Amino acid sequence: MNDSDTVDVVRDSLTTAKDSLVGVHVNTPLDAIVRNGRARRRRHRLTGLTGAVAVTAGMALAVTALASSGHPASQSGHPASHPLTARLAAWTVAKQANGDIKITIRELSDPSGLQSTLRADGVPANVSSSTQFDPSCQRYPMTQALFTSIYHAQKGVGSGNTVLVIQPSALPSGAGVAIGASVDGRPGGRGLHQVPGGNQTVHQPVHHVAALADNTVLRVGLVYASQQCTGS
Amino acid sequence: MLVVGFTMPHATKGIGPVMRVRGMEQELTEFAEFYESTREDCLQIVLLNVGDLHLAQDLVAEAYTRAWMSWRKVRALEVPRAWVVRIALNTHVSWWRRRRREVALGDHDTAMPVEQAPVVSGDLLAALRRLPARQREVVTLRLLLDMDTETTARVLGIAPGTVSAHLHQAVATLRAAIPSHYGQEISK
Repeated sequence: MNDSDTVDVVRDSLTTAKDSLVGVHVNTPLDAIVRNGRARRRRHRLTGLTGAVAVTAGMALAVTALASSGHPASQSGHPASHPLTARLAAWTVAKQANGDIKITIRELSDPSGLQSTLRADGVPANVSSSTQFDPSCQRYPMTQALFTSIYHAQKGVGSGNTVLVIQPSALPSGAGVAIGASVDGRPGGRGLHQVPGGNQTVHQPVHHVAALADNTVLRVGLVYASQQCTGS
Repeated sequence: MLVVGFTMPHATKGIGPVMRVRGMEQELTEFAEFYESTREDCLQIVLLNVGDLHLAQDLVAEAYTRAWMSWRKVRALEVPRAWVVRIALNTHVSWWRRRRREVALGDHDTAMPVEQAPVVSGDLLAALRRLPARQREVVTLRLLLDMDTETTARVLGIAPGTVSAHLHQAVATLRAAIPSHYGQEISK
C-alpha cells in the first residue's frame, strides 16, 4: 500500500466516524451568538477607556457604598426592585429598563432577602449563603454559551463589589438562577466543572464571581425551576 | 426574522445612518447563512477531536461568537469554516490549561440527565486526539475539511512541504490504529 492509499484509508475511516455524528446538533441559537459577540465588543471598547474614567467610576461606587448604611436584615420585606431602589449595604438589586436585573453584591448576607427580591422581580431564584447545594434543587444542564448569555459578571471598579447582570429573557423555560457560596472556587474563575454521571461525563457550567468576606467565593449557576427550589 | 437592533458606535463620515444599518443587516444575514450552513459540519469535526459532545458544543459556540466579532475579517478568509474549527480547537487547548485549576464538584452535585451522547470513541479517534497539535490541525484541514495541500499551507502559515510531512507522519500513526481487516479489504 503506497502513501496515497494510506491517506485514503485514514480519510475514509475519519469520514465514516464523522458521518456517524450526523445526529448531533449545535444547540446555541444564532441570536445568542450575536448577543454574546455584541456584549464582548462593548466590553472591549470599555477596556479602552481612560484611567480617569475608571477612577471616576470607582469613586461613584464608593460613594454609593458609603451612602447605603442600612443592614439588609433590618429591611422589612423586599419589594420588587426598580431603578434607584433596593439599595442595601450588602447587595443592591435594580431592574434595568431593558428588563435585565443588575445585582451589586458586597457580601452575601440576608440571602433570603435577595431571593425574595429577585423572585418579586419575576426571576425564579434560589439564593443561599451556604456552600452546600440546596437539596431541593436540581442543576440545569446547559452549555457555557447559553450560561454566559444569561449571566454577565464583572468586578465593580474600585469598590470590590461584584456586579452581576441577569438577563431573565435568556432563561430557558423551566430554568431558574441559583446563587450561593463555594469554597472550592477561584474569584473570577469561570468554566465547566466535571460531574461524574454514570457512564457519561456531564459538564456543569459554573461561574465564580467574587471573593466573599470569609474567603468563600460567590457562585452562580442554573437550576430547574420548581416551587421548592425557586418559588415557581 | 433576524434582529438588527444595532447600536452604531463607529460612525463613518460620509455614510448616512440608513446605509450603515443596511450594511449591518447584510453582515448579519451573511453571518447567519454561514452559521446555518457550516455549524453542524464544524461541530462534528470538533467533536471527533475532543470526544465530548457538550464540550464540543461549547467550543463551537465560542468559535462562532469570535467569528461574529471579527466577521469582516473572517468572511474575507479563503475558508472561513477552517478558521472556526481552528479557533474551537485552540480554545480547547486553553480550556484544558485552565481546567487544571478547577476541582470536581462534591457529592451534593448530582448529574443531570442529558441527551444521549454519540459514540466518539475508538482507537482511531483516540490516536487522533493524541497527535501533536500541528499534525492534528493538518489532518483536520486536509482530511476532514477536504482542503488541498496549498490551501492548508496558506491557512496554517507553513510551507506546503511541511504540510505534507506532517500529514505523512500523522497518517502513519492513525493507520496503525485502524483495524487490520479494513486494510485487507482495501488491498484486495
